[in-house]
Amino acid sequence: MDIMNKARVKSPWVLHFNCGSCNGCDIEILAALAPRFDVERFGIINIGNPKQADVLLVTGPANRRNFRVLKNLYDQMPETKVVIVVGSCGSTGGVFYNCPNVLGGVDKVVPVDVYVPGCAARPEQIIDGFILGLQKLAEKGKKKVEGR
Amino acid sequence: MPDPVLSYALPVLLLAAFPFIGGLLRGIDRKITAHMQSRIGPPVLQPFYDVIKLWGKKPFITSQFQPVLAFGYLGFSLMAAAILVFRLDLLLLLFTVATADVCLVAASFNSKSPYSHIGGMRELLSVLSYEPVMIMSIISIYFATRSFLVGGIFSLAYPLLLLLPGVFVAMGFVLIVEMKKSPFDISASMHAHQEIVRGVFTEFSGYTMAMVELGHWVKMMLILSIMAYFWAPNLLIGVGLALLLFFVSLVVDNIYPRLTWQRMLKTTWTFGFTLILANLVALFLLGGV
Amino acid sequence: MYGELIVATNVLLPLIMGLACLGLTGRGIRRAIIAIMAASLIASSLLLFYSGGFVYSPNYLVEMSALILGFCLVAYFLYVGFRIKNVLVIGLTLLQILLVAYFEYSAIGVSVEPALMVDNLSIFMSLIVNIVGSMICVYALSYMDEHEEILQLSRSRQPRFFFFLLLFLGAMNGLIYSNNILWLAFFWEVTTLCCYELIRHDRTKEAEKNAAVALWMNLTGGVALSASLFVSYYAIGSIALNELLMAGAAPILLLSFAFMALAAFTKSAQFPFHGWLLGAMVAPTPVSALLHASTMVNAGVYLILRIAPAIKDTHLTWAVVLVGAFTFMLTAVLAISQRGSKRILAYSTISNLGLIILCAGLNTPLAYSAALILLLFHAISKGLLFMGAGVVENRLHSQNIESWEGLLGRFPLTAIIMIVGMISMFLPPFGMLLGKWAALEVIASSPPSIVFLLIIFMVIGSATTTLFWARWLGRLIILPVKETKLRAEKLHPPYLLSLLSLLSLDLFISVGAAFFISNLVNPTVGGGYSVQIGAPLFSINTTIGSFPVLLFWLAVGVIFIAGFAVAKSKGGVVKPPFLGGENVEGNPSAFRTMADTEAEFQVSVMSFDSIGEGRLNKYALVGGTLLLALLFLMVMF
Repeated sequence: MDIMNKARVKSPWVLHFNCGSCNGCDIEILAALAPRFDVERFGIINIGNPKQADVLLVTGPANRRNFRVLKNLYDQMPETKVVIVVGSCGSTGGVFYNCPNVLGGVDKVVPVDVYVPGCAARPEQIIDGFILGLQKLAEKGKKKVEGR
Repeated sequence: MPDPVLSYALPVLLLAAFPFIGGLLRGIDRKITAHMQSRIGPPVLQPFYDVIKLWGKKPFITSQFQPVLAFGYLGFSLMAAAILVFRLDLLLLLFTVATADVCLVAASFNSKSPYSHIGGMRELLSVLSYEPVMIMSIISIYFATRSFLVGGIFSLAYPLLLLLPGVFVAMGFVLIVEMKKSPFDISASMHAHQEIVRGVFTEFSGYTMAMVELGHWVKMMLILSIMAYFWAPNLLIGVGLALLLFFVSLVVDNIYPRLTWQRMLKTTWTFGFTLILANLVALFLLGGV
Repeated sequence: MYGELIVATNVLLPLIMGLACLGLTGRGIRRAIIAIMAASLIASSLLLFYSGGFVYSPNYLVEMSALILGFCLVAYFLYVGFRIKNVLVIGLTLLQILLVAYFEYSAIGVSVEPALMVDNLSIFMSLIVNIVGSMICVYALSYMDEHEEILQLSRSRQPRFFFFLLLFLGAMNGLIYSNNILWLAFFWEVTTLCCYELIRHDRTKEAEKNAAVALWMNLTGGVALSASLFVSYYAIGSIALNELLMAGAAPILLLSFAFMALAAFTKSAQFPFHGWLLGAMVAPTPVSALLHASTMVNAGVYLILRIAPAIKDTHLTWAVVLVGAFTFMLTAVLAISQRGSKRILAYSTISNLGLIILCAGLNTPLAYSAALILLLFHAISKGLLFMGAGVVENRLHSQNIESWEGLLGRFPLTAIIMIVGMISMFLPPFGMLLGKWAALEVIASSPPSIVFLLIIFMVIGSATTTLFWARWLGRLIILPVKETKLRAEKLHPPYLLSLLSLLSLDLFISVGAAFFISNLVNPTVGGGYSVQIGAPLFSINTTIGSFPVLLFWLAVGVIFIAGFAVAKSKGGVVKPPFLGGENVEGNPSAFRTMADTEAEFQVSVMSFDSIGEGRLNKYALVGGTLLLALLFLMVMF
């Protein structure tokens, strides 16, 4: 099953969901995808479809309007999957902390594996986050094999 | 052909190699595309990682028929490839490819998903745009060889390309449509995913998506092989020609935006029909065959 | 004795049993009558197939009574014309009376030996007519009960319906046995009568209107047939079809053949006469099935196939080819813009008939075989499709294919029958594709002067055919998550019997296509052609290609078994579709919209209204008329 895990790590397809971010982090994510940082080097593709994605990349705080959507997208992603949160808002609620319409960090709704703090997080940081996320993905893959 | 190695073992080997070469070409495709956009791009083996990963994911399906239909897409594509390597009837090959397409479309219609329905309908429109050109190309090959069997191409003393250059170029359009490349990528593509999610592929995930991906490689290889047969006396040159057209399709992909289905239909039909008919008229006038 | 037996069971018995239906109105009795009739028609056509053809001349008395009946029939048409105040019907009927009366006056005592002549082509047709036709009659038993329940009639009209249904079959049998052109014309008019009466069966305004259209168009064909009779008599002094076909291709005889082709085009609903077959959709579905699969339209094709060897190497044959090719292409394009289930089927019928006529007109042995293969498989598949569509229509009370959404979940058995029927129309390795494969080969080897035009017609026609079938197929197999567990619905025994027997017949003949082609099609080709499709037991070979039927079926079987095995071993959780994350729990066809309210959504078929009837019909009419003019122009060369 080693080859399966290698493939998992080598081919993380990303679903990017903006949970109400100010678009600062989203721009940085796009920068990571663009030629300068070119995360497709690592096989990362922004697939835009939960059914084929391995990584849920969330920006912005979880709020009462769309936490249900976030939950739904997470549920529609088949295992094995990881959730990476980019930016302070997504990690803790950030500047929106304690706002009446905001629940807080994304981890209030779905289990989060990696937090990438920053306002906004830089592309380098995002790539670092990815590397951490992929390690978690490999761990989960191994656990799945042992669990059987 | 009495030699069992040449008539059975070699085709089987070739058939088995089809998905691998196809996957490799997809990897090269992504690498070249990345370089054209001044990126480094993923490793050449990336498509294989993708497919292996997809195979190992937890399966989500839309109904119990979806995996069968997805397998049908792969199976019928392979069958078409088998028809080609065993040198059977070209028309049969075309019907089999159409069956594979219908399997894919049926699988995408299987769920009540608006995205996948739009994608499926657009996939049908791409079939509508390349199928006539492909039938005409096959009939042109018949005019040159006086046989609908693939073997007929090999019994010619001279390369098909010298007789049918227009048909070769028209097949280039078929290649671009089949590879789902711009400007004919209306049904699904790597790049346009944000518009209709992933079009016809939206509702596939895990192993169903892996099978569809494999089928896609085989179909791409199928068209490329037919193009290689245009220089049958020396297949090395043929392969070179096919690879050249492959490269051209990547260039086209990177410099053209996608078209609407009406314009796609108009483009493939006008260029395809004109090229092929002009070629055939010239063939008849020169009394080539 | 043998010939008399066959004629009695296939032509007279339907009439007698029809009259019995008219008299004995009990439901049980009617079922018994139809069952006996179906069994005897199938048995006698099989007997005919095994024992071979015959010639038969009825005595003078029968001939006289047929003549009198013929005049009664025309008088009835005249009456209908006055009743519905249709100038065209009156005019055409008067013309008909004039022609036939003058002929009878000027050619007293002309007799034809033999009046009925059954050869391999007649046997081939008779198998189609009787087997498919009987199944449709059986099917009608259940359908008409449901139909009248929906209409809530106070008094059942079924006796009339079954009378005409059976008469139709009898007349059709008579038509394909006739050698005397006068008899041919007589049976021709009887089918017109049955068609008219069956289309207006429901007596709605629309039904009456469309029946009138069908009547005048088919009367045009009748007049053309009479004109052909006339020409033939004055040219060779005989009205025997076999003598006419032997007489060679003198220009004056070509005129006779051109009239016959015209008659055939009206019956087979080729452009510009396609209107009546589309209008005929208002009739109850068994009528459509009968018209499309076993009787009416096949009469036209039969006539073309009959005269094809005689017009070989004439210019006339190219005009026939062009009419077929043009109709094939344009109706296939028209079909993609349709949403009515029966309308799509109707356009597909016209399209396929165009292809058959194209092949018949190309007039090579291979082309003739292709035409026969297409005819055989089209009859079975189309009968099946119409019957299935009728069942669905009675369940859904709608003909719109939008409402067919998710049929597989709602009525799995009917849906699977329909799906197989559809696949058999446009995907290999079913018989229709075998015919299309042969047709493509034929077209590719046609002469350079016409080949490019035909190729363009052919490729556009085939590609659009794939599109409209796949589009419809997609409607059936939508499976919302709620309904993934399929449970077969209950169908009445007549439905089950007719649907399943046609389905298995279709599969059986498609799998054993090589065998059936060598034993059924090849002997039929005969007549002036040397047989060209070589059919060993497993594959069908021509000189330029090869279709390994059995191998293909094997491969398809392997693919599906492997597919099911993979699906079983990998399994999977059924998940709702991707809706941008706004799915509603428990309802797969709704999403959340503003203020978290739920909104139901629909997925519709793509409409191609910009290339629909409104835009293309005028081309069909103008093109069809021009091609008809070409048909008669060709006679002069």
